[in-house]
Amino acid sequence: MRFGRTSKAVGVAAAAALALSACAANTGTETPSETPEGEASGGSIRVVEVNAFSSFNSNSSTGNVDINGKIAYATHSGFVYLNNDLEIVENEDFGTMEVLSEDPLSVRYTVNEGVNWSDGEPVDGGDLLLTWAYSSGFFDDSNNEEGDAATGTTYFDYAGDTSGLGLTERPEIGEDGRSITLNYSEPYADYQIAFGLLSDGGIATPAHVLAEKAGIGDEDALIEAIQSAPEGDLENPTERPDIQALADFWNTGFDTKSLPSDQSLYLSNGPFIASAVTPEQSMTLVRNEDYTWGPTPQADEVIVRYIGEAPGQIQALQNGEVDIIAPQASADTVEQLEGLEGITVQRGNQLSYDHLDLNYSGVFEDENVREAFMKVIPREQLVDTIIRKLNPEAEPLDSQLFLQDAAAYEESASNNGSDAYAEVDIEGARELLDGATPEVRIMYNRDNPNRLNSYTLIAESAREAGFNVVDGGLGASDWGAALGGGTYDAAIYGWIQTGAGVSGVPQIFKTGSGSNFNGFSSPEADELMDELIVTTDPDEQNALQVQIDKLIWDSKYGLPLFQVPGIEAYSDAVTGIEYMPNQTGVWWNVWDWEVVQ
Amino acid sequence: MLTYIVRRLVTAVLILFGASFVVYQLTALSGDPLEDLRGSNAPNRDQLIQQRIDLLDLDTPAPLRYFGWLAGAAKCLVPFAATCDLGQSIQGEPVATALVRAMGNTITLVTAATFLAIVIGVSLGIITALRQYSGLDYGVTFMSFLFFSLPIFWLAVLLKEFGAIGFNNFLADPQISGSTILVVAIASGLIWSLFASRPWARKGIAFVLGAVVAAALLFVLGAVDWFSTPGLGPVVLLVTGVGAAFGIVLLTAGLRNRKALLSALIMVALGLVAYYVVNPFLNGATVWLIVGLAIATVLVGLAVGYVMGGYDRGQSMRAAASTGLLMGLLIVVDRFMVTWPSYVDNPRIRGRPIATVGAETPGLDGGFWINGLDTFTHLLLPTLALLLASLAGYSRYSRASMLEIMNMDYIRTARAKGLSERTVIMRHAFRNALIPLATLVAFDIGALIGGAIITEQVFAFAGMGQLFVQALQRVDPDPIMGFFLVAGILALVFNLLADIVYSFLDPRVRVKA
Repeated sequence: MRFGRTSKAVGVAAAAALALSACAANTGTETPSETPEGEASGGSIRVVEVNAFSSFNSNSSTGNVDINGKIAYATHSGFVYLNNDLEIVENEDFGTMEVLSEDPLSVRYTVNEGVNWSDGEPVDGGDLLLTWAYSSGFFDDSNNEEGDAATGTTYFDYAGDTSGLGLTERPEIGEDGRSITLNYSEPYADYQIAFGLLSDGGIATPAHVLAEKAGIGDEDALIEAIQSAPEGDLENPTERPDIQALADFWNTGFDTKSLPSDQSLYLSNGPFIASAVTPEQSMTLVRNEDYTWGPTPQADEVIVRYIGEAPGQIQALQNGEVDIIAPQASADTVEQLEGLEGITVQRGNQLSYDHLDLNYSGVFEDENVREAFMKVIPREQLVDTIIRKLNPEAEPLDSQLFLQDAAAYEESASNNGSDAYAEVDIEGARELLDGATPEVRIMYNRDNPNRLNSYTLIAESAREAGFNVVDGGLGASDWGAALGGGTYDAAIYGWIQTGAGVSGVPQIFKTGSGSNFNGFSSPEADELMDELIVTTDPDEQNALQVQIDKLIWDSKYGLPLFQVPGIEAYSDAVTGIEYMPNQTGVWWNVWDWEVVQ
Repeated sequence: MLTYIVRRLVTAVLILFGASFVVYQLTALSGDPLEDLRGSNAPNRDQLIQQRIDLLDLDTPAPLRYFGWLAGAAKCLVPFAATCDLGQSIQGEPVATALVRAMGNTITLVTAATFLAIVIGVSLGIITALRQYSGLDYGVTFMSFLFFSLPIFWLAVLLKEFGAIGFNNFLADPQISGSTILVVAIASGLIWSLFASRPWARKGIAFVLGAVVAAALLFVLGAVDWFSTPGLGPVVLLVTGVGAAFGIVLLTAGLRNRKALLSALIMVALGLVAYYVVNPFLNGATVWLIVGLAIATVLVGLAVGYVMGGYDRGQSMRAAASTGLLMGLLIVVDRFMVTWPSYVDNPRIRGRPIATVGAETPGLDGGFWINGLDTFTHLLLPTLALLLASLAGYSRYSRASMLEIMNMDYIRTARAKGLSERTVIMRHAFRNALIPLATLVAFDIGALIGGAIITEQVFAFAGMGQLFVQALQRVDPDPIMGFFLVAGILALVFNLLADIVYSFLDPRVRVKA
């Protein structure tokens, strides 16, 4: 009976609740905190990167990661940047680059008045001088030996190439305090991109901050230190305490995975400035309010999110969590992206290309054997099976020096004799071999599916002509070490071009050069390359390169195979994204990104 | 006992030394840290290689480099000296910082999944054991093995496709079609009939009932646009609360214990009152406020049970406290649901709430409720993936253990002396069936903090697994050693813990000192 009473009570309670819910449900919950934050009007754009941000100094060896370079690109200004036709664009709103004399080469850089860091300090001569100091290696006197033999110091751990600015003498700051003049000891072909290039971070490090953090005083003290420290001399290493202090902070002081509480560590002089960082997850850039000296950003906010895997990136794009992705191009990626609605896919070439090199020693010492082998490379078939499913318009690469995106490519390709290898010529190869069956060991990275495919197709074709092909494929961690070691006769691997400048040419093709792994040596080409790197006129550079290209082809060097395709995709919520082949990728015109309202 | 623990700890330290040496060497051998630079045609290639060599100290042979690392790591053993040096990653970040961050993320990711997997897995195991060889048993076994054998990366892709992208599309225009209702109704009917016991007539009734309830529910929810503006409201709160009160009392005290039942029902009534009284104060809620309220609820429940008094106060107190907690949970859930529309409409969410990657929406700052929902929408899919994959283990183990217990002599004795089936199962069988699971749970917790490598990778979650994988790809030994230290120490500690707990739980097992 007592239970009956309880159930009655329950019944009454239920009735009461019903009555209550009818008149006044959700008391209090009627007024939830209605999104108090006011969203800015230019909107926010979310872009995906693979690697996580780790440093506000992308030029040091620890900070030299692609994402850091992209953040530096969006948060700094420089005298020049590259557009997606790989042309050099001068940003005259920021400052001017003025060639005072061609020979001896002398270039004056002047920052415009009113260009400031985001703390209000002007960008001036001290900043330019500091940029020169770390990218020239002027003070380094290390002999790069190990153990007891080591003498001297490498001050700034600069990840870029110091060979260009290394030719300059110590610059003076101009009368206006906003300029420096770089005097080269010999003409330098790539002088236009040697200093203040935006993809190197432009004018990236504020001198007044570095001086203070390094504990040497103010910006004047920094200028004084750079002006007075002795030039590096391998023979007579000395100590330079102030430069050492500056370099020590510059090398690692800007490395951080989270947003420092000290704002001076991430000053901006570009369109955007960092505003929030969640380590390993995301980074938020907001518009730099003061910025007027360069292309005007459209969006108020750019959020970078890190997603490692291509399928994850695609699904996040599909789910509307992100707006822009640039995943690794693969057949699966392309297929998935093509199937999506409301997504625009852009394809193009990257600046890396695969090539087959023949050693100028061993079985390939004989030029006829090299030529015979080049005749059997099925380049058209390689492009067809490996590349066309990603980029239907792809063609085999017909130049050793120019990529297909370069203006001079057509001229060089039609002139260098590459048309002789457009088709597989088994008969021609047999004739050249004259019954011989040389044993050829081909080395490649067998963990890279594209290279494995290339090898398989090449080996098949070569065997038809009588070559005795031996599989010399090595694992991902071993093939690099084997380069130039003489354990193979031919190698399939890739080069990456920067897209501008010519200083990469001798690195590969000059006699005895660091990346000349197959022993190519042509005195004539060496001479032309010596001339090339001191030629500052772009047309003359091209003319020289066309000649060098022909010499390389004539000596039966091997064959370039194809350019690696790239892919970018963005949602209908944003516009202004344009394909860029170089390592800056989608970021190259971050200021043009716009939210569709 | 003490000497036993000390002996185990000493062995553990020796094992760690040996294993860390082996791991360091394996890492160093796992690849070529210069790989990307060797084939480079950059004009400053040699300079870059030299920099990398200096950075990673590659000129020192790996066995010697290990001792350099060890010297730094050994300083961590000095208490309070703050000289701990676990080295740094190739990008210059101290490993200790990275570890703390990664562990935090991993713990957020795996906590809910582990807890749910244990609760659901064990319940399923017990139920299937009680209904051995029934349709339910076969059904659950089939499903748990199915999920167990699905590769988790594929499961994750499916979850993202249907759970996130598909569901978000649905939320944009929540219309439930007739065919969907039909399919869901049939599925629900089948599940209900699986749970119903043998006579076919009863299974048939359960099927019809399940189908009708599901169809009606879907129809009503669709009609009132519940999916856009969800909420429980006082009526659902009341009905669920009363149901829960009966369920809890049934399991813990038996419905015959009227005092316990009454205490539980009083808590439901108090909960309903609290729903009206507390809600207005919840606008500025924090985690600590919620925790405080939960503690207060438990105390009130205990008090109610105590005041009700009776022959066994403990039972009433437990029943009242659990019911109170459940009511509190429902109120919080209701509050989250009411906040849902303003979360979905937030400009940073853009009407697509369920996320496929990451742990949070960057830049979202809407207070406790909005950010709580954000965490929920981000953790939902990875938690489901982990949960489905680990259900099988728990349900199988607990089923086997329960079956073994149910065939014991003392169970027969308990039945013979006239105890109710509830008492036999809950008091005599269930508790003992849990003992072997203690080992499993301890192991799993230790292993999980080591990271769910694939799940983290697929859902772009920056936890321990990702730390490990990224360091391995760069052949960067210091972060790997940090990862190994944490994972190794946890494995050893939880191993020891499992053994000790076992000896406490089961008096038959005694540790020989």
